[in-house]
Amino acid sequence: MIKKFITAAAALLAGIMLFAQEPTGGVKGTVINRSDRSPVAGATLKLMSGATEIGTVTSDAKGDFLIGELADGMYDLQIDAPGFLQTTVNVTVIDGYVKNMFNLSLSPSIATVDVDDSSFGDFDLDGMGYEDTPTILYDQNDVFNNIASFNFSSVRFKVRGYASESQDVYLAGIRMNDALTGYSPYSLWTGLNEVMRSKSTVVGSEISEYGIGSYNGLTNIYATPSKVRPGSRFSILTNSALYRLRLMGTYAVPENDKGWSYAVSASARLGGNDWIQGVYYRSFAYYAGIEKNWNDIHRLALVTFATPGTRGAQNASTQEVYDLMGDNMYNSNWGYQNGKVRNARNRITFEPITFLKYDFTPSRELNVSATLLWRTGKNGYTALDWYDAPDPRPDYYRNLPSYFYMENTDYNRNNPAKAAWARDAWQNNVATVAHVNWDRLYDVNYNAGGRSKYALEERHVDQNDLNLGASVKWRPKTNIVLTLGANGKINRTEYYKKLNDLLGGQYFLNVDQFAERDYSSSATMIQNDLDYFLSHNEAEKIAEGGKYGYDYYAHVMKGEVWGNGKFSFGGFEINAGGRIGTSSFWREGLLRKGLFPGLNDDGSEISYAGATLVNHYDSEGKMITSKGLSEKSSFLTYAGKLNLNYTFMGGHRIYADASYSSEAPLFDKAFVAPRTRNTLISGLTNVKTLSGDVNYMFANNGYALRVTGFYTTIKDQTDVMSVYYDLNNSFGNFALKGIDERHVGMELGFQVPTPVSGLSVVGAFTTGEYIYTSNPTMTATVDNSSEIIYNNVLVPYWKSNPKTDGSIQKHYVPSTPQTAASLGLSFFHNYWFIDADVDYFANSYLDMSPLYRTDAATAGADGNITVEEVDYMASQEKFNNAWVVNFSVGKSWYYKRKYQYGFSFNAKNILNNRDIKTGGFEQTRIVDNTVSKERYYKFDPKYFYMAGFNYMLNLYFRF
Amino acid sequence: MKKILYSIAILFAAVVTSCSEWDPVFANQGVPDPAAAVNMDSQVNTSIAELKALYTGKPYHIEKDIVISGKIISSDISGNIYRSVYIQDETGAIEVKIGSTGLYNDYKLGQILYVKCEGLTLGNYCGMLQIGCDDPTGEYETAYIDVKSLIDSHIFRGAKGPEVAPLEITESDIKAALKLGYKSPLFGKLVTIKDLTYANEIFVLIYLDSNADKKASANRLFLSDKQWGVTTWAMSANKMKEYLISGVWDSAQIGNSGDYNHGSVGDLENLTKLINNASAYSVSQYFKMTGGTELQVRSSGYAKFSDTEIDPAIQAGAKVDFTGILTNYNGAAQFTLIDLDGVRKH
Repeated sequence: MIKKFITAAAALLAGIMLFAQEPTGGVKGTVINRSDRSPVAGATLKLMSGATEIGTVTSDAKGDFLIGELADGMYDLQIDAPGFLQTTVNVTVIDGYVKNMFNLSLSPSIATVDVDDSSFGDFDLDGMGYEDTPTILYDQNDVFNNIASFNFSSVRFKVRGYASESQDVYLAGIRMNDALTGYSPYSLWTGLNEVMRSKSTVVGSEISEYGIGSYNGLTNIYATPSKVRPGSRFSILTNSALYRLRLMGTYAVPENDKGWSYAVSASARLGGNDWIQGVYYRSFAYYAGIEKNWNDIHRLALVTFATPGTRGAQNASTQEVYDLMGDNMYNSNWGYQNGKVRNARNRITFEPITFLKYDFTPSRELNVSATLLWRTGKNGYTALDWYDAPDPRPDYYRNLPSYFYMENTDYNRNNPAKAAWARDAWQNNVATVAHVNWDRLYDVNYNAGGRSKYALEERHVDQNDLNLGASVKWRPKTNIVLTLGANGKINRTEYYKKLNDLLGGQYFLNVDQFAERDYSSSATMIQNDLDYFLSHNEAEKIAEGGKYGYDYYAHVMKGEVWGNGKFSFGGFEINAGGRIGTSSFWREGLLRKGLFPGLNDDGSEISYAGATLVNHYDSEGKMITSKGLSEKSSFLTYAGKLNLNYTFMGGHRIYADASYSSEAPLFDKAFVAPRTRNTLISGLTNVKTLSGDVNYMFANNGYALRVTGFYTTIKDQTDVMSVYYDLNNSFGNFALKGIDERHVGMELGFQVPTPVSGLSVVGAFTTGEYIYTSNPTMTATVDNSSEIIYNNVLVPYWKSNPKTDGSIQKHYVPSTPQTAASLGLSFFHNYWFIDADVDYFANSYLDMSPLYRTDAATAGADGNITVEEVDYMASQEKFNNAWVVNFSVGKSWYYKRKYQYGFSFNAKNILNNRDIKTGGFEQTRIVDNTVSKERYYKFDPKYFYMAGFNYMLNLYFRF
Repeated sequence: MKKILYSIAILFAAVVTSCSEWDPVFANQGVPDPAAAVNMDSQVNTSIAELKALYTGKPYHIEKDIVISGKIISSDISGNIYRSVYIQDETGAIEVKIGSTGLYNDYKLGQILYVKCEGLTLGNYCGMLQIGCDDPTGEYETAYIDVKSLIDSHIFRGAKGPEVAPLEITESDIKAALKLGYKSPLFGKLVTIKDLTYANEIFVLIYLDSNADKKASANRLFLSDKQWGVTTWAMSANKMKEYLISGVWDSAQIGNSGDYNHGSVGDLENLTKLINNASAYSVSQYFKMTGGTELQVRSSGYAKFSDTEIDPAIQAGAKVDFTGILTNYNGAAQFTLIDLDGVRKH
C-alpha cells in the first residue's frame, strides 16, 4: 500500500515536473527507400501515443525529420509515403533525449525498375527522323509513375505523349540533354545504376530546385560520391530479352573524420538474348568519385565516368519479311561470316564525362552550388557502305516476293513464278538470302583489284561539350525559398564517317556515287573532298581508320539565367519561376564537296582544268557552300512557370502547374542537308509550348491516389529526315517546319490496401488525345544536286485526311499508346515481394512520312487528286490494342545483420504475345511506275515488335 | 571481408570466362577465304549453238536438263550493258539476262559461266536470242532472272581465265549475219570491226512525258537522219537539258513521221515540257563501213560515258575501229560498246 502510494506520488511529481518545464525529448531520423537506400522526401510521419495523435511531420528533401518537445514515453511512429508500404515502428523517449532512429527504411509498394538498356534501347535509325525512345519515369515516389515506369516501358510508353527529348535530365545540376538532338542521354551512364540512383524528380510543369525545365518534368541525378549508399554491393543479372549477363560492383566509403568520401563502381554487360539474333552487348562502365567536406560549409566533388563498349543493333523490317520468316523479331542487320554471326550495325562508344562540383553552405539558409562538366569522346555507329554494287541488305525490297508479284496489276509486278522462288528462299531461311552474305562481300572485294566495293563505315558524332552551371539558394524566412541560377554550354561536335572495315579490300575511293550517276562526265562534281582532288588530281584512296564521305562541325552555344521563388503560407504553397537565355548554332564544313565548291579561302573562284567551277544558289539567292562557316542562327529562349499547391489535413494535396516556354530549334533539325552543305532551313523559329495540369493527390494509411488532368500545345516544331527518294533516285532530305501538336488527357494512379496484411491493389490509367493540329510546310532537297524538289510546299494531309466515306481522319502523335492501363496486386511480407499485373494498351499510331501527305504523292503521275488516293496515301495506321501480363517476385535476407543478399525475378509478357507493335515508320518511298500512270503506291511500313515471354533475374549481395 | 571479396571476384571471373556466348558477333569471325570456283565441265551437255537452235520463233521453255557454259565477254562496269551478261563458246554467244546491277563485281571478263537451263526460257528480242525467265505477261519473250535464289540455282561461276580475244569481222560477215537473223552465231559475240567513219547521223526517240501514252504521236519526238548537234555517245538527263536549252533541236518536229501536227521542239510549251521531263536517253550514233553499210553504235544514257564527246577527230572523219558486242535490232546491225576502250581511232 505504502509502496503504491510512493509510486503514485513519484509519478505525480514527475508529472508536475514535466508540466513545469518544456519537454526536451524527441525523435529524429532519416526515411530511406529500402530497395536502394535513397532518401524518401515528403514522407508523412505520424506519432501516436496509444490512439492519440501527438503530432505529424513531413520528411525533407534528404529524408530527414524531427519531432521535438516530446515527453518521455513509448510511442508508435507511423510512416507513410506515396509509393511505399506503410510502416510502424516503436519509439521510446527517455531522459528527455532526442531519440535518433537513424535510417527508417520503407519498402516500395511496387518492385522498382532500373533504368536500363531495354528502356531506351534506341533502334539506331539515325538520320531517318524516327525516334521512339520512351520517357523514363524516374519518380518512384509517385504512385502513377511508379506503376507506369515498370509496366508501360515495354511498349515504349511516352508520358502524356510528349517526345522524350522534352524531358529534362540533369546530372549534378547540369542539363545533359543532347545539345544537337535534345535526346535524353541515358546511354552515357547505363550500367552505373548504383551510383546514379540517387536523384530528384519533378513531373510535368513543376519547378525543380535544379532548374526551371520545360513541360515534361525534370530529373536531377546527384552522381556525387556522398550520395552513393555506403558499403559494397555486387549483383549478377540476366535478361532474356536484352543480354545474358550483367555484372556490377560498387563500393562507397562514407565520409571519414577528415571529411573525405569516395565511391567506385564498375559493370559489364555481355552477350546476346533469346529474342533478337545479332543483338549483342560488350559494354562496360566505370565510375570513380571523390568528395571532400570542410565542416559542412565547403564541399568539393570530382567525378569521372564512362560506358565504353560495343553493341550490335536491331533493325525494323516490313510485315512481309516478318511473315516470311515467321518471326516478328527478325533482324536484318546480321549474316554469317565464316559460319559465324556478324552484325553490320554496331554502336561503338566511349564518351567519358568528368565534373567538378562545389557547394558552399555558410548557413542553413544559404547554399551556393557550381558545377563544371565536360563531356568528350567518340560515338560511332557502323553500317554497310557500297559503291556501284548491288544493295547487300537482305530485306531490300527487290529481294522480296512482293517485288515480283502483286495481286493489284497496277503495280506491274506480275511474275508469280519469280515471287514463289523468292518466297521459298525466305521461308526456308536460306542464309545467303535472308541474312547479310558477308562471304560474298569479301569475295567481291578480293576480286576488285584492291578497291573495296563493299565496306563498313562508321558514322561518328563526336561531342565536346563544356558546361558551367551555378545556383544560389537562399531561405530568408522559413516559408520562403529563393533560387537563382545561371548556366552556359559550349558544344562542338564533329560529324564524319570513318572507314571501319575494308572487308578484304585495300582502299575505298572517296567519291559520291550518287553524284557520279548524274554528273559522271564531271571530274570535280563527284568529289567528296574537292580540295584533295585538286591538289592530288585524283580522289583519295581511304584506308581503314580514314575519314571520308562528309566531315563537319556543329557548333552550339547556350546561356541562360533562371530563378524561382517558393512561398508557403500554412498549407498553401506558391512556386513561381522563369528563365531567359540565348541559343545559337552554326555549321562549319571541313570538306569541300564537289557539288558545292563555293569560293577559295581568299574569295576567288575555284577552277579546274582551266574552267571555273559552277556554284549554285539557294532559294534566297545565297551561294550554296559546303566548306567553311554557315550563317549563325541565334534565338532568344525563355520560359515561365507557376505552381500552386495546397496541402490539407490527412494527406490530401491539390496542386496545379502552368508553364509557357519558347525554345530554340535544334541543330539536328535546322539544316536542309547538313552532310553536304551550309544551307539552313529558311524561316527557322522558336518552338512554343503552353502547358498546364491540375492534380489531386492523397496518401495516408497505405492508401495512395493521384488524379491529373493536363493540356499542352506545342507550336512551330521542325523535323528533318534523310531517306532514299525514288522520284529522284537519290538521298532526299525532307525538312518540315510548323508542326503543331496538342496533348490533352488524364492520369490516374492508385494503391488500395486490402484486409490482408501487406496486400494492396495497385493501378494506373492514362488516356488522352495527342494530335497534330497544323499542316506543316516541307522543303525537300537531294544530296546529289542543288535542285530543290519541294520549296516550302504545304503538306495538306498532315494533320488529317478526308476519307472516302466523307469523314475526316485525324492524325495522331505516334509511337506511344494514348491509352494505357495497369491493374495489379502487390504483396509484401517478411522481405518477400510478389507483384502481378495485367496491362492494356490502345490507340498507338504509326510514325508518318510527310511525303505521303503531299499533293504530289496523292496525285500520282496523272496529277489528279482523288479522295480514294488521299485516303489510301495519307491515312495513318493505328496499331491493334494489346494485353500484357507480368509477374515479379523477390526476397532479401540478412545474415548477421551485416550482410544482405537476395534476388528479384521479373517475368514479362507471360502470355507470350508476339504480335504487339511497339513502333514503326513509313518508308517515304513511292512505287511510281504503275501501269495506269494514274497513282502512286506506298512502300510497306517497317515495324518494331515487343518480345514475347521474357524474364530478368537479379541476384545481389550487399555489405 | 577479404574472403568475401575474393570469392566474389572469382565467381565473376568464372562466369565471364565460362561461356562461348561471350564471343561477340561483331568481331573475331575471321576473314573468309576467297570463294572456290565451281567446275561443272562434266555436266555441260549442250553448246550455245545447239541451245539457240532450239528456238523456233516463239519463247522456248526449257524443261530438259540442259547445261551450257561459256566465257564471259561483257561487263556492265560502264553501265552501257545493263542487267545482262554475254557469254560465248566456240559455237556462238548468247545473252544471259541476269537481272541484277553491278554484275561486273561478281562476273569477270574471261570467267567461265555455267547455266543450268532447265526451268529457264529461251526467247528473242528484236533479233537477239536471250536466256531468261518466263514472262507471263507476254510483253517480252523472256523476263529477267533477278530473284537471288533463281540466280543461285541456275547460274554458276567457274574458273577465271584470260579475256576472250575479239573476233575480227568484215562488212560481208555482218551482211551475212543480218540475212540469217537471230540464227546467226555472230550476234552476241565480242567482235572488232575496222575502218569505220562517222556518218553524222543519230537516232533517238524521246517522249515529251514518259508517264503519258508512249504510242501517242503528240508525245513523241524522233531525232533522226542527221546529227542534231548531238556530239556525245548518249545523253544523261542533264545533257539532254543542255541540248534543249542550246536550241540545236528547235526545228525538230514533234510526232510520228507523217504526223507533224504538234509543233516543234522550239515551241515554248513543248520545250518546257521536254526540259521538265528530261531523262537519260539512249542514242544511236551512225557509222559507215567501207562498203557503205551503216552500223548503229547504240549507247545508253545511263552509261558512265554517255555525256563524253565523240573525239572531234572522229567527228571530222578519222577512221575508227570498234570492239564490242555485235547485235541485231530488227534487221539492222547495232553495236554495243562495253566501254570507251572499245573505240580505237586511227
